[in-house]
Amino acid sequence: MSARNRELLGLLPASLLIVAGFGAVFLQEQAKLGNLSLTYGAIFLGLCLAAHLIIRVRLPDADPYLLPIIAVLASIGLVVIYRLNETLARDQAQWFVVGLIAFAATILLLRDYRVLERYRYLIAAASLFLLLLPRIPGIGQQANGAYLGIGLGPVTFQPAEFAKIGIIIFLASYLRDTRALLVSRKRFGITLPRLKHIGPLLLVWGLAMLMLVFIRDLGSSLMFFGGFLAMLYVATDRLIFPVVGFGLFGLGAWFFANTVGHVADRVSAWQHPFDPKLYEQIGGSYQIAQSLFAQADGGVWGQGFGQALISVGDSPILPAAQTDLIYAVIVNELGLIGGIVLLLIYVLFVERGFRIAVLARDSFSKLLATGLTTVVALQVFVIVGGVTKVIPLTGVTLPFVSYGGSSIVANFVIAALLLLISDRARREARR
Amino acid sequence: MLQPTAIILQAAFLLVLFLFVAWVARSTLRDLKRPDEQRSAGPPPADATGIHSAVTAGAAPSGPHDPRLVVERAPGHTPGMEYEVGNGAILGRGEQAEIRLDDPYASSRHARLSMQGGRIVLEDLGSTNGTFLNEEIVSGPQPLHQGDHVRIGDSEFHYVDN
Repeated sequence: MSARNRELLGLLPASLLIVAGFGAVFLQEQAKLGNLSLTYGAIFLGLCLAAHLIIRVRLPDADPYLLPIIAVLASIGLVVIYRLNETLARDQAQWFVVGLIAFAATILLLRDYRVLERYRYLIAAASLFLLLLPRIPGIGQQANGAYLGIGLGPVTFQPAEFAKIGIIIFLASYLRDTRALLVSRKRFGITLPRLKHIGPLLLVWGLAMLMLVFIRDLGSSLMFFGGFLAMLYVATDRLIFPVVGFGLFGLGAWFFANTVGHVADRVSAWQHPFDPKLYEQIGGSYQIAQSLFAQADGGVWGQGFGQALISVGDSPILPAAQTDLIYAVIVNELGLIGGIVLLLIYVLFVERGFRIAVLARDSFSKLLATGLTTVVALQVFVIVGGVTKVIPLTGVTLPFVSYGGSSIVANFVIAALLLLISDRARREARR
Repeated sequence: MLQPTAIILQAAFLLVLFLFVAWVARSTLRDLKRPDEQRSAGPPPADATGIHSAVTAGAAPSGPHDPRLVVERAPGHTPGMEYEVGNGAILGRGEQAEIRLDDPYASSRHARLSMQGGRIVLEDLGSTNGTFLNEEIVSGPQPLHQGDHVRIGDSEFHYVDN
């Protein structure tokens, strides 16, 4: 079976999920099963087919599993969000369409993605600007102590989601040029690059720390810095860089956890979520404790669609259920089984991404694919780790599943870039 | 209260998810078992240029005369530099390699050139990132021909023997 027919076949499970999922939710809520869920499944299938046709025409050799994986993730997201709130689900469906448009635009306009290398400093500057936007008074918005969103008229928008793509492009291009220099000098038996070569990389570390303090978001900071270390490791093949990097990050995080109030609160809520004082406190450990209760309540097989207790009257039982805690809702309703299968799908996504990086022939493509994949993987780790109390909880989205326009559009752009890299790599490999 | 139909639909939802995972994982595992499947799918067509058939390889009546590897571009080497390879040579990043590659994508003992049956033969020594002969990954010994292009990471050479 050709790659594109395989992709076409892979879109069927996603639309079946929509039909079965919406069907189950309708039954629970209205006690009747209309054919509306079939209509939704058909519309979803139609949208995915449009994306498939664009890939078929423009990127005939691209990885066949990426689009089906994304479609399955998005369908899980739509079902769960619909179950939480009908209006939000309608918004999310609209954002899904906007995401597909961004996906198509990226593929159609960026025929040769390597032109991005030419604009790397412009891209880096624009990304930094985007990162700092939420701190500008007037348009910046603070949520739970972190400055992540900006409001432009009726639309709120999270610039960090787009900045992460820009920074990965910049780093891929920068490391392609300097990776040979970074390993060229040895002192005392270890690789010790000159200051002028390591300088910009220390700058990135400084940036990650700055984000921690100014944007007050440990999750994004970990995402950026982890992605950067993965790329550095791939570029140089020296384990010393990630080891030292994580050491520095740990040191910085420990320092700020002890000095910056907002970060310290997060850490103590993470360490003692069931402490009654922290549980009662506003912005305390209520969210993480409730998330753990919800997941425990789900058990192995789950409570069933529509069974999770989201709120009583106006007081939320699961705060931010559609974004931060969507994983907890899924585990509550679909059980451990559902949580595992969701994580497996992300594992497959990451595997496809790294496979694209392995197949890519030139260093820029290899590094770009590595960076983009790592950032998605770390984003899943940061939010799932947060709601399961592995690391302090920070509000990032679960890619393609959580409610959030910026997130879904940015992740579609990442997917489009991965497919562009994959198409070139597999076409060259076939030759 | 859970409806029986809802339970069935939910079970179907999970079943579809697991089948999907199994389907993608199966082909992924197949890829991992044969890592170069996509690179060398089937034998090259008869008229392929740059790829030499294994049958004609030993047919040269006289052995190569003065075989050399010429640097096209490689970190730490001047383009145009030539290495004598008549007595064989190891290419790699390690100390014991005759042709030292200052290339982060090269393994310490990356590839070997040796005289076998009157021809210079290129072999990959189980390197991490592979050796490419005329942009095809080398799996097993490959005899070299005048003008062949050898690439390891970002280091590129061509082979001359007259």
